[in-house]
Amino acid sequence: MSGRGLLTRLARYPEAGAALGFAAVFAIFAVAAHDTFLTANSFSSILTSQSVPGIAAIGITLLMISGEFDLSVGSIMGVASLVFLAAAVSGVPVPLAIGIGLGAGALMGLVNGLLLVWTGIPSFIITLGTLLVYRAISLTAISGGRIIRWADFSRENPLLTPPASLLLAAALLLAALLAWISASGWRQATTTGRRVLPGIGLLAAATLATLSLLELGPRLFGDQNLIEIDLFYLLNGRLRLGELGGNFRVSILWWLGLAVLFSLVLTRTRFGNALAATGGNAAAARAQGIDIDRVRVIGFTLSGLLAALAGIVQTARLKSVDPLRGEGLELEVIAAVVIGGTLLKGGYGSVIGSVIGTSLTGMLRTGLVLVGVPANAFRGAIGALVIVAVVINSLVRRERDN
Amino acid sequence: MTSPPPLVDMQGITVSFGGTITALRDVDFRLHAGEIVALLGDNGAGKSTLIKVLAGVQRPRSGRLSFSGQEVRLTSPQHARSLGVETVFQDLALVPLMSVARNFFLGREPMCRYGPLRLLDGAGMDRLSVEALAEVGIDIGDPSLPVGRLSGGERQSIAIARAVHFGSRILVLDEPTSALSIGETRKVLTYARAARDRGLGVIFITHNLHHVFEIADRVTVLFHGQNAGSYAVADLNPESAARLVMEGLPIPGPGP
Repeated sequence: MSGRGLLTRLARYPEAGAALGFAAVFAIFAVAAHDTFLTANSFSSILTSQSVPGIAAIGITLLMISGEFDLSVGSIMGVASLVFLAAAVSGVPVPLAIGIGLGAGALMGLVNGLLLVWTGIPSFIITLGTLLVYRAISLTAISGGRIIRWADFSRENPLLTPPASLLLAAALLLAALLAWISASGWRQATTTGRRVLPGIGLLAAATLATLSLLELGPRLFGDQNLIEIDLFYLLNGRLRLGELGGNFRVSILWWLGLAVLFSLVLTRTRFGNALAATGGNAAAARAQGIDIDRVRVIGFTLSGLLAALAGIVQTARLKSVDPLRGEGLELEVIAAVVIGGTLLKGGYGSVIGSVIGTSLTGMLRTGLVLVGVPANAFRGAIGALVIVAVVINSLVRRERDN
Repeated sequence: MTSPPPLVDMQGITVSFGGTITALRDVDFRLHAGEIVALLGDNGAGKSTLIKVLAGVQRPRSGRLSFSGQEVRLTSPQHARSLGVETVFQDLALVPLMSVARNFFLGREPMCRYGPLRLLDGAGMDRLSVEALAEVGIDIGDPSLPVGRLSGGERQSIAIARAVHFGSRILVLDEPTSALSIGETRKVLTYARAARDRGLGVIFITHNLHHVFEIADRVTVLFHGQNAGSYAVADLNPESAARLVMEGLPIPGPGP
């Protein structure tokens, strides 16, 4: 097998260019700053700081593949964070406040989408407008440079206290669902190779059921049958990974979990196929009976929803919201998505590529500081990286197309 | 024994835009199963408008449209599709960045059930698309190739094979050969014939009279939005056909 054969095989994946770039930048920093870069501290700070833009980037990826664009994600993130925390500090139960914040984000995305399909104006213009409008909501709601703080309302993190029986029932239900899906995959597998994933699923289901029974079962009969769950921890608490140290946070799990979920949506569902077709050739998609307006509106709504989730996850860590929350996020996220191999004009891309792209920009930020480059040069480095990445990606794609 | 009603029977179709411009005036059109009808006419003669009426894109101001003897009032392109009308446009049919298999099944993807989940059956899509293409004589090799890598003729063939595979009864080919090389054109004509031999009615829109004489059974000519007649190909020759298109004059001699 020649090197050329390997390149051709790599070129089948949209994220190939980003993966190569990631490996190259990683190698450079590993050599130039090995004692500080190759540490749990630097990895955890990269992943933790990138998990928030990373979640928003998933939505932008889906939207960009459908041929659209959302400049307003930063402003949506700001408003959703504000709505969430304002509701929480005014006494709304925190789970409900999360729902309201997510709803606000989805609604702002929906408005973007409806404006697009009703007016037919390019999404660049529409979302440039809503970027300013949504930002104005934050600026007027929190006037005079004030900051909304959870600490002004309560000293404690919000707690959810479900009875052990309810939590156990939910855990067992989840395990049963996972077992059902995995067993079905196991039965349909034609080769042993295709049984790996269902096998892992079955194992995970069994583990989940056993652990929750062992952990929660005895509590059903004791005095302490209420379980205390710290909601802020659930959203973005600190993960203690044994001796590893560093500042790994729960938000990383949200980011990677959502990336896997939406990667599946993109590559293995009808909606994912419709997204790519709408961005690749809208007329052909319409001719095949796809409601492209509906696809676009759903894309914008998802983008708004994920931007809101990113904001809420971040707010759970910072425990405060200021009027400029999320400002500039759109450019960072769009850069990461483009670096990840998604085409700006749509029709082609990958969620995993965006995860790599987001990690790459974060790695660059941390790595440059570690090798002694002034922090202010970071933006310039990102700009150069975008251009280099697009050149590499189009070279890789040309390899595939010839 | 009476012959079955035509697949498509359009009578007195009139289409006007904004009340002043009349694109079609009182046009009749008929298509039977197992025949290829060439639809001829100069630019602006109303060919596209007639096809849009058939595809449910344009609603006529007056006139009647029947499929196999059943009168139908088309409400949408989806409605026309559900009745078996499939239109293959030059360039508009496929998504270049998507694979052959995904294009083939676009909007009608086969699914696998995993418990409550329904996911695309990727392996099934690959296998079925290769089989369906082989059935009309196309060997595509790797179904995971992006369509953009294929030649214009191969793309057109995939669009035709897709229409045939999904059981359309009426295949509309809108200038399918206008951007193709001679060899590719030959293939596309072969696939059109294969579709006819499977019992489909094929409407073939073209400016190339040679293709008409090669594959069409009948010719219907439009001139300035009106019928200039419908003829068996055997009753025409290239000169008389060209005169019909350019001058809209009925031909002398024995009629149809």
